[in-house]
Amino acid sequence: MKENLFVSVSPHITDAKNSVRRIMIDVLISLCPVVIAAVFFFGYGVAINIAVAVGACIGFELLYDAGVRGKFKKGYFKNASIKDGSAAVTGVILALNFPTFLKVDAWDLNIYKPNINLPTTADILFSFDTVIMLIVASAFAIVVVKMLFGGIGKNFVNPAAAGRVFAFMTVSLAAVQTIGLGLDASTGATWLSGHTGGVSGSVLLNMFIGNTGSAAVGETCAIAIIIGFVYLVVRKVIDFKLPLVIVGSAFVFALLMSGVRGLALGEMNSAGEVLSNALAHVLSGGLLFGSVYMATDYATSPNTPLGRIIFGVGIALITMLIRVFASAPEGMSFAILIMNIVTPLIDRYIYPKPFGYVKPEKKKKAKEEKAA
Amino acid sequence: MSFTFKGGVHPPAHKELSDRKNIEYMPPPATVYIPLSQHIGKAAKAVVAVGDKVVEGQKIGEADGMLSAHVFSSVCGTVKAIETRATSSGKCEHIVIERDTAEEKPEAFRFPSLSVRDGEHILERIKDCGIVGMGGAGFPTHVKLAPKEKIDTFIINAAECEPYITCDYRIMLEYTEQFLRGALYMAKTVGLDKVLIGIESNKTDAADFVARVAKEKGYDVEVVVLKAKYPQGAEKQLVYAMTGRTVKAGGLPSGVGVVVDNVHTALSVALAVEDGQTLYKRIMTVTGEAVAEPKNFWCFSGATYDEAVSFCGGAKEGDDAPVKCINGGPMMGVSVSDETIACTRTTSCILLLSKDSAFTGSSMPCINCGRCASVCPMKLMPMYIDSFMRTGDLKGAVKYGAKYCIGCGSCAYVCPAKRPLLQSIKLAKKKSTEAGL
Repeated sequence: MKENLFVSVSPHITDAKNSVRRIMIDVLISLCPVVIAAVFFFGYGVAINIAVAVGACIGFELLYDAGVRGKFKKGYFKNASIKDGSAAVTGVILALNFPTFLKVDAWDLNIYKPNINLPTTADILFSFDTVIMLIVASAFAIVVVKMLFGGIGKNFVNPAAAGRVFAFMTVSLAAVQTIGLGLDASTGATWLSGHTGGVSGSVLLNMFIGNTGSAAVGETCAIAIIIGFVYLVVRKVIDFKLPLVIVGSAFVFALLMSGVRGLALGEMNSAGEVLSNALAHVLSGGLLFGSVYMATDYATSPNTPLGRIIFGVGIALITMLIRVFASAPEGMSFAILIMNIVTPLIDRYIYPKPFGYVKPEKKKKAKEEKAA
Repeated sequence: MSFTFKGGVHPPAHKELSDRKNIEYMPPPATVYIPLSQHIGKAAKAVVAVGDKVVEGQKIGEADGMLSAHVFSSVCGTVKAIETRATSSGKCEHIVIERDTAEEKPEAFRFPSLSVRDGEHILERIKDCGIVGMGGAGFPTHVKLAPKEKIDTFIINAAECEPYITCDYRIMLEYTEQFLRGALYMAKTVGLDKVLIGIESNKTDAADFVARVAKEKGYDVEVVVLKAKYPQGAEKQLVYAMTGRTVKAGGLPSGVGVVVDNVHTALSVALAVEDGQTLYKRIMTVTGEAVAEPKNFWCFSGATYDEAVSFCGGAKEGDDAPVKCINGGPMMGVSVSDETIACTRTTSCILLLSKDSAFTGSSMPCINCGRCASVCPMKLMPMYIDSFMRTGDLKGAVKYGAKYCIGCGSCAYVCPAKRPLLQSIKLAKKKSTEAGL
C-alpha cells in the first residue's frame, strides 16, 4: 500500500448523484414547461425578462462575493458560489413572477409601436421599465435577502417572493397593468381583481390551459406547473405533500370564505357556483406556481412533515384572507413571505422525538411533584 | 412485522467484488502484533513475558474485570516484545510474537470438546475462549449473553447491510451447519431453543440455503427476509423490523427481551464448544476497487493490514491506487493512514477505495433541504446538531437528539452539500457524555 491515505470520519462514500448543483438543475428543468407556456401565451417579452433577471441575479451574486466578501482572487470564477445554480433559479422564478411588460408612470422609458395616440401596455415593443424593475428586484432578492444573510441556505425569506413584493411595492400597484396575449386574448385585469361570483366551465378550462390574463407570466398555465411538480416529485427534489396541502386547504378556505361570503351577499346562488368559484381561486393567481416553486424553498420551509403541514395551511389561509377580505387582489407572495418568517418558530417547537424515546425519569418525577 | 424500518438509504452494495470468492486460508505471518484491546471494555492484562515460548491458541492476555475478554496467540513462537502501537482507534499495548520457522510445529492449544452442553457450561466456554461480538464493535459475548432481563427472542443479525463486506454471507454458505449450531448454543445460554435469522432480500440465495439446511437437520431456526436497505443491520432497527418492538433510545435490546448477535460470533461459538478453539483468527473480507484480487479468507489476528492486502494481490497502482484504507465498511468503518496496523478479531473487512469510489471532496453550506432528517433511522435532526455544534451550543445539539445517534452515517451519505454531519454528531455525543447532559 502507498502513503498519502486520506483519513476522515465515516461515511467514506457519498451519493454522487446527489448534489446542490444537481438539485438546482432539476428545478431549472422543471421550470421549462412553465417558461415555454409563458412565452407561448405572452410573447417574446417573457424571454427577455428571464434573460435579464438571470443575468442580474448571477451578476449581483458575483459582485457581492467579489466586493463585499473580498473573495476576488485567482481562481475566483472556478470556486464562485454562483456555480451551485441557485442564483439562476432565483432569476427564472423572479422573471416568471413579473408581468410581460410593466409601465411605470413616473419615468416611462418604454418603446411603443409608432403612430398610436394613447398607448397601453399592449402596444409596448420593448420595455425598459420592466428591465429596470427586474434589475432592482434581483438586487434586492440576491444582495439583501440572500447574500447579506449568509448566502445559500441562510436567506430568511424566499428571495424571488421578496424581490417581487419589493418591486411591486416601490412602484404603485396601480401603475402596473398586465396583459394576456393568446387565442382568446383577454387583456386587462385578471379574474381575481373584481370577480366574486360563480365561474363557467369554459373559463375554468381556459384557466387550466393558461389562456387567460394573469398578473405574473409564470402563473398562467396550470398544466405546465403540474408537469413541473410531477418532475420535481419524481426526482425527489421536493416533498409532494407541501404543494398538495397548500392547494387542498386553499380550496377549503375558498369554499368557507369566498363561498359563504358570496352566498350571504347574494353573488352566488347555487352549490355549483360556490364550487366553481373555489376552483377558480385555486387555478388563478400565483397559488399553484407559488406552492410548487416558492413555498418549497428549502431554506424557508419547515423541516418536519407536521411543520410543513402547518406551514402549508398557513399560506393557504393568509392567501385566501387577502384575496377575499383585503383590498389587494392577490396575496400568495405575501402569504409565503409571512409564513417564511414564521418557519423558524415552527421548527423551534416541532421536531421529531428520537426513535424509542422515553421521557427521562427525573423530568417525569419533577412534573408529577409539581402536579401534586 | 414490517421487515424494515423508517428512514435509511440505498448505497450501491458492491458485494459482487468478493461474494463469489470461497473462503481461503492466509499463510501465517512471520511476526504478529497482537493488541491486548480487541474488544469494548478494559484491555486484557499480559500473562506472558518477553522471551516466553507460546503456542497457537494459547492465552497471552487475561481478561481484566467484568467487561473484558481474554486474548490469544495466533502463532507458535517467541514473545519478542510488549510495546505500545497504533490501532485503528487509538493506541494500546501489543504483544509482538515471532513465529518459529522450525519444521516440527508444536500442537496448537485446544480445550477439550464440551461434553455437557447446557447454558451454563456454554457460557463458561464462551468466556474461556475470549469470544467477542465480531460484527465490529467487539462487545464481550459472555456479558451480552448474561442479561438481567428475561429474554424471549434470540436474533442472529445476518443483514450485512454495509456495502462491500461479504464475510458473513460466505460463512452462511460455507459453514452453514456450524453457524446454525453455534447460534443454537448461544440461544441456549439465554434459555431459548429457537433462533431467528434476519437476512436482507439481496441475499435470498443465502436465506434459502440456510433455511433448507436448518430444515434438513431439524434445527429450530426461522429465517426472516428483510428489505435490503442501509442500516438494516443496526441493532435497534433490526429488532424493530423483525419483532415490531421498539428498543428504548439509549437502551439495549435486552430491555425488550431480545438478544442480537452476529453470524461470525455464532460460528466462533460453535468452534469453541465443539473443537475447543480459542478466538485468534477470523474470516475477513479484503475488498474495494483498489485491491487486485478481493478475497474472503481466514486471517490471523496480529497480521498487519499490509500482509492481509498482499495476500490479495496487493493494492492496485495508477488511477485505481488506494486513497483510503478502511477498517470495516464504507459507511461506518474507520479510515486509517498506517498500513502496519494489526488485524484483530473484530476486523471484518479491510477496504481499499480508489479515488473514484471514495469521497474526499469538500463541503458546501447547508441548504436546509432536510434530507438528513428524513433518512435518519433514529429520527434525529442532523442539520441542527451540526450547526449547533459549530457554534458550540451543546444543549441545542442534545435537544435534537445527538445522544441517540447510532453512527450509521446515512445523513452524511445523502447530504447534497456533502457536509460531514456525522463528525459533528459524534463530537456532540462525546462532549455531551463528558458534560453529563
